[in-house]
Amino acid sequence: MIVAAVPFALWLAAKAVVTLGLMLGVVLVVIWAELKWSAHIQSRVGPWYVGGRYGWLHPIAEALKFLQKEDLVPEAADDKVFRLAPYVMLAGTIATFAIIPIGPTVVARDLDIGIFYLLAISSLSTLGVLMAGWSSANKYSLIGGVRAGAQLIAYELPLILALVAVAIQAGTLSLNGIVAAQTETLFTIGGFDVALPFALSGQFIGFVVFIIASLAELNRTPFDLPLAESELTMGYVTEYSGLRFSMFFLGEYAGVVAMAAVISTVYLGGYWMPGISDDALDWLGPFILVGKIFFIVFLYIWFRWTWPRIREDQLQRMAWKWLIPLTLFNIMATATLKVVL
Amino acid sequence: MTDSPSETTEAPNTLGTFAADFAALVGAERWTADHGTVHVYLSRDQWVAAATAARDETELAFFSFLSAVDWAKEVAVGEPADDVENLDERYEVLCRLSSGTDDTALILSTSLAKDDAWLDSLVSVYAGAAWHERETAEMFGIDFHGHPNLINLYLPQEFEGHPLRKSFALGAREVKPWPGKVDVEELPSTENVEAAAQTDGEGS
Amino acid sequence: MTHLDHRGIVEVSDGGVSVELKGETMTLNIGPQHPSTHGVLRLIAEVDGERIARLDPAIGYMHRGKEKLAEARTYAQITALINRIDWVSGFANEVAFIRAVEELVGVEPTPRAQYIRLILTELTRISNHLVFASSYPLELGGATALMWAFREREHIMDVIESVTGGRFHTNFNRVGGVNPVAGGGKSQKKVSLDLPAGFYAAVENAMDRAEVACDELDQLVTGNEIIHMRAKGVGIITKEDALAYGISGPNARASGVDFDLRIQEDSLLPYGDFDFDVITGENGDSFDRYLVRILEIRESIKIVRQAIGSVPDGPLQAKVPRVLKVPPGTAYVRAENPKGEMGYYIVSQGGRIPYRLKIRSASFSNISIMSKIAVGQLIPDLVATMGSLDFVLGDVDR
Repeated sequence: MIVAAVPFALWLAAKAVVTLGLMLGVVLVVIWAELKWSAHIQSRVGPWYVGGRYGWLHPIAEALKFLQKEDLVPEAADDKVFRLAPYVMLAGTIATFAIIPIGPTVVARDLDIGIFYLLAISSLSTLGVLMAGWSSANKYSLIGGVRAGAQLIAYELPLILALVAVAIQAGTLSLNGIVAAQTETLFTIGGFDVALPFALSGQFIGFVVFIIASLAELNRTPFDLPLAESELTMGYVTEYSGLRFSMFFLGEYAGVVAMAAVISTVYLGGYWMPGISDDALDWLGPFILVGKIFFIVFLYIWFRWTWPRIREDQLQRMAWKWLIPLTLFNIMATATLKVVL
Repeated sequence: MTDSPSETTEAPNTLGTFAADFAALVGAERWTADHGTVHVYLSRDQWVAAATAARDETELAFFSFLSAVDWAKEVAVGEPADDVENLDERYEVLCRLSSGTDDTALILSTSLAKDDAWLDSLVSVYAGAAWHERETAEMFGIDFHGHPNLINLYLPQEFEGHPLRKSFALGAREVKPWPGKVDVEELPSTENVEAAAQTDGEGS
Repeated sequence: MTHLDHRGIVEVSDGGVSVELKGETMTLNIGPQHPSTHGVLRLIAEVDGERIARLDPAIGYMHRGKEKLAEARTYAQITALINRIDWVSGFANEVAFIRAVEELVGVEPTPRAQYIRLILTELTRISNHLVFASSYPLELGGATALMWAFREREHIMDVIESVTGGRFHTNFNRVGGVNPVAGGGKSQKKVSLDLPAGFYAAVENAMDRAEVACDELDQLVTGNEIIHMRAKGVGIITKEDALAYGISGPNARASGVDFDLRIQEDSLLPYGDFDFDVITGENGDSFDRYLVRILEIRESIKIVRQAIGSVPDGPLQAKVPRVLKVPPGTAYVRAENPKGEMGYYIVSQGGRIPYRLKIRSASFSNISIMSKIAVGQLIPDLVATMGSLDFVLGDVDR
């Protein structure tokens, strides 16, 4: 291939730009989808005029609107931390994209310790939230930030434990390896080789728990306590405006896409789809992955506009009393099956 | 005396009987029962005891409202009282108590001299009186002894004056006398009431 | 965070948002600008973490001094004022006041007017409860119910507008009946205004839609486990407290107070002609307050359905003098407003203007219990409790 001819740095930059561009493109579509789908759920029309039809340029228009607004920093705020927080949050989520395979050979970086990296880097965004909550010098922000911290501790564990079971079943920590493991033939019916994604073959509990925990990780309803508009006005983003607010906004949706991409990859077979050759997957893979991402995003949006918000103590109870024991059971079951089968 | 509690808790045949019974129960000298509204007139020292009796013996557990009327000869706003010359200047404090099961209800009324406007608080009898007494205190300048937190409810703490007193001018009316210029159609004057009295109710 | 101190921001205000934390508790200022305070209620909460140690409601940000304003207006002008007390149920505010004036004047409203008042009051009640039942999930974090119920409520607003000309501030009641004529001035011919053509069909349709809204709310909200987790057992008001604090209406009935002014002897409107149930709750918690209102919508729909079939013919207004002079006297007249007991104590001295008008509004007493039941709650519980009391700041401050 042409890879060898291009200097490493340039190649890296190109990969970064392509990955980022692709994923941010998806993020904009997801923002539009949230506006539009939520509108339809609520029997509204939603964005309509911007861009001529269906308001398809609405996310861009919103971004432009935010750019025009004054970038306010409260007088009592801790300037540097306050200004840095949105970027920390955004960086944490965007860095996740680096290891998501979008085709058999198309991945920004295939890490051996992919899951490990994923879990480490995704917690970074919560650090941004904590920074924002603390530095705003606003009590609502503070409570929001602390809530986010408590939520992180409670829900990172089910996430990790759910992925541990996946790693056991796949026998690797690399995301490419996990996708490859899901393409292996499980059994044959009438001459057809049947391969099932992990969500359908052994990791269903993990899949459900992971979706629930990811909602908490993303601060989405019913776990949007750090934002909790009706209680904390807007939680940790209360004091933000203009560009910095839009960074949080973008970070939130980038997080949604990143998490949906991880779920698609780990549990739904990622770029892979039965009946399509590996060569074709190189260019069809991204579309398949995006399709799966949108399935998960649709679930997220559906949940958000249907359910109310639970309370902090109920959230903790759910994590420690239900999700963690469930995932522990899941690990044991997976390990046992792995040895037996 | 027909004031045994068991009789008065039933819906009275007439408001008058009920009013008379209650007045006898609390030792009030005067009561009225006009327009479906029972007033029992008390002296200041009967106030809390009467409210307690209303709650415990007449089962008027529902605290409806507490407020006051400023009876003044000079009014800065609106029309003066009916018989101004013989008017006894005072604050009349009213407290309406009613039943939580039927339509039994009464209004306790007491008069306070203008230069000695204080009353014992009902908060210990009806917890809901707290806000009503705060409102009455700031609006009329009546002091409620024994109130746990008698600070202004609506107005800023540094506000001067008591807006619902008749001597308190209404700013909007000072700026623009009533009727204002926007009232294009002349309001019918009170002199030709008789002439204009019977207009057709249904229209033509 | 020592840098806060030498910038001198520490003592912005006691309830200020941006102040340094001192000691175990901090003062959290909820409102007057806050998404869940329904306008401009301000709650000064002392919180230990998220648990409320002390709560001090501060009201008055919407105090318009209606009682004072009423002392400078004729009775007819006052109806325009009192409409705006509880604007979510504007029409219902008028009825008790007009009945109080009628009581003092000694005029009996015509039966047709009474029925129209009753229908419009019940429509207002349905509309008010739909606003509550749909915005309550919003307080708990669910936004969709709001849109669904508001969509159906619009049919009711259309009906009210078609009869009265106003959606919120109807100003439709007159002493002796309801507004019989449109047009005005000396040159214009008066036009008779009765119920508009197609009124009954429109009401029937609006009732169907309101039932749809109830069904949808039941599906989306009433059975939702998260709503149960958030609202059941939260903000419990005992029966005794409800009475002592003067809590009325659905809030009191949720606490087990089986009392509805509509079925009392002194009911202002002919509710006795109709068959409906008074809904009461058992636990007095936030969920019961929600449930009572949802069920009350269904009862009100029943009442309206019965009423539109039996509106008597006749004039809309009894004969009353053009210049209304109210004989001296005092009367307190109360009505079952959607939010509770709405009463007017009128002191008349024989003029065109009341000497004193005391407005007893439901929300004022209803939220006065907040500082008692909020202690020990978490901030989310406070929002859940506050929302379930269904108050409007105009009705609190007057």
